[in-house]
Amino acid sequence: METETTDKKPRGKMTFIVTISIITVFIIYYSVMSMISPVRKLEEIKNEFGAKTAEKNDVDQRILMDSTYLKLLKEKAFLQSRIAMAQTDSIYLTLDLADSTANIEISGVVVHKSKMKSLKTSKILMAGNENVILSMLATPFTISHAFATIKKEPVMIKMAPKDTSEYKPDIMPDTSITEPVNYILEMNGGIRIYIYQEETVKFSDRISHLSFDLNDRLRDTWNALKSVAVLKVPEYHPFIKIRLPRTEAKIIYRAIPKNGQIAVFS
Amino acid sequence: MENKKITGDGAHAEIEKNTTGADSVNNDNINLSDSILSQKPGTRKPLYIVFRSFFIIICSILAALSLILIMLYVVPVLKEFSPRQKTEITNNQELKKDPLFKKQINALTKDVQRLSLKFNAYTSGQSYIVINTIENRFSLYTNKKLIREGFCSSGSYTMLQTSGNKKWIFKTPKGKYWIHGKTTNPVWKRPDWSFVEEGSPIPSKDDFSRYEYGVLGDYALALGDGYMIHGTIYKRFLGMPVTHGCVRLNDEDLKVIFNTLNIGSKVYIF
Repeated sequence: METETTDKKPRGKMTFIVTISIITVFIIYYSVMSMISPVRKLEEIKNEFGAKTAEKNDVDQRILMDSTYLKLLKEKAFLQSRIAMAQTDSIYLTLDLADSTANIEISGVVVHKSKMKSLKTSKILMAGNENVILSMLATPFTISHAFATIKKEPVMIKMAPKDTSEYKPDIMPDTSITEPVNYILEMNGGIRIYIYQEETVKFSDRISHLSFDLNDRLRDTWNALKSVAVLKVPEYHPFIKIRLPRTEAKIIYRAIPKNGQIAVFS
Repeated sequence: MENKKITGDGAHAEIEKNTTGADSVNNDNINLSDSILSQKPGTRKPLYIVFRSFFIIICSILAALSLILIMLYVVPVLKEFSPRQKTEITNNQELKKDPLFKKQINALTKDVQRLSLKFNAYTSGQSYIVINTIENRFSLYTNKKLIREGFCSSGSYTMLQTSGNKKWIFKTPKGKYWIHGKTTNPVWKRPDWSFVEEGSPIPSKDDFSRYEYGVLGDYALALGDGYMIHGTIYKRFLGMPVTHGCVRLNDEDLKVIFNTLNIGSKVYIF
């Protein structure tokens, strides 16, 4: 009996040490791979949009870093995006990060203005290689996926009465229902726009926000784990996180089409 | 009776227990207590294993949770601190005197001006109306200035379904539209869904029962595809999504809009 117990102890310790070591190594590996992902993303953006700036051989490299030049370049990129979208009859969204406004436009006409309550952006969009990012922003983004806590079209099904005796006139709709409004718009190119309602007055609002955020993180982590498992660098999604009043957030989500377009001014 | 034989010196004494028949029970008790004592580590062992297992399980759960939390919350933060090339924005005064710089800035300024003009041309000086179907409000503009705003009623997003699987969705279309026609004292020609909704039989196309007078208010502005901006007898529902797709307004607002907008005027619905 004594010999058995003395044999088990080192084996248990060994298992524990090996497990801890494997987990630590995995965490380090996962973290390193994840930290490489923004660098890889910037490289991808450079390859896709950097050529445009490289073509301008006559431009002094110092000019590309000048504040006046960059300010004008930003304006130009934003206008180019808006004009491209205005040429369609569709509804689109413009985000002016410098001015903290989110506007809905149709054919160049601003039909609704919203003021952002808070804003957080991925460093890659703000402090990355400005010229490359500006070249990217010169073309509008198209929504490829959306995850939301509300329906795009709140359709209610009503069965037609068989005869006039079954007919009931419509009653006044219940406008007191205030469902939490949080959503993510994923663009082509992997950029994500997170729009959260500003109000967290009710406990259910906090829970809804927490669970929505957790779901997003779980989805991302699962995808990253799948990439890391096959020794691939996980995909990085540059983000813009905005908080808006609930009604404004709802208006924007319901107004823009499923594959709508968005222009960003940084 | 117990005889104790003490041998050796005072420091190390050996006690011998001599037992007799009468003392055998007593001896058994001693042996039993000895055996209990000898079994104590054995009885402790299951308890120890239970506590140890419980501790290991708790530690494992905590470790797994920490691992998940690190992956969910710490790694995304680390991503934002990853090293990358940063553009240093400068404001070099010497560079601003450079003719090449001036040339570039001038070219860029001209581009921005040209694009601004092109973009501003989209918002014409003509009158137009904006309908917000989410808040059920309208805004009327003339020469790019807001001249009137108020409540309206838009599509209810109700899907009317028959047992024969016929469907109608009552929603106001979104996007850019224009006024196709203007009518005073409009008459409503009831479509099929209007009869289906009431459970009435659908009459022939030009049956007199299809025509209703006075329900659309004094004016109607056609948007195409059967959609209209018109008045209503259900004024208490203004500001709510209750219509079959048309936009309903109160009498005063409708009159101003009717007089402001012309055929061809833009209607922006979102």
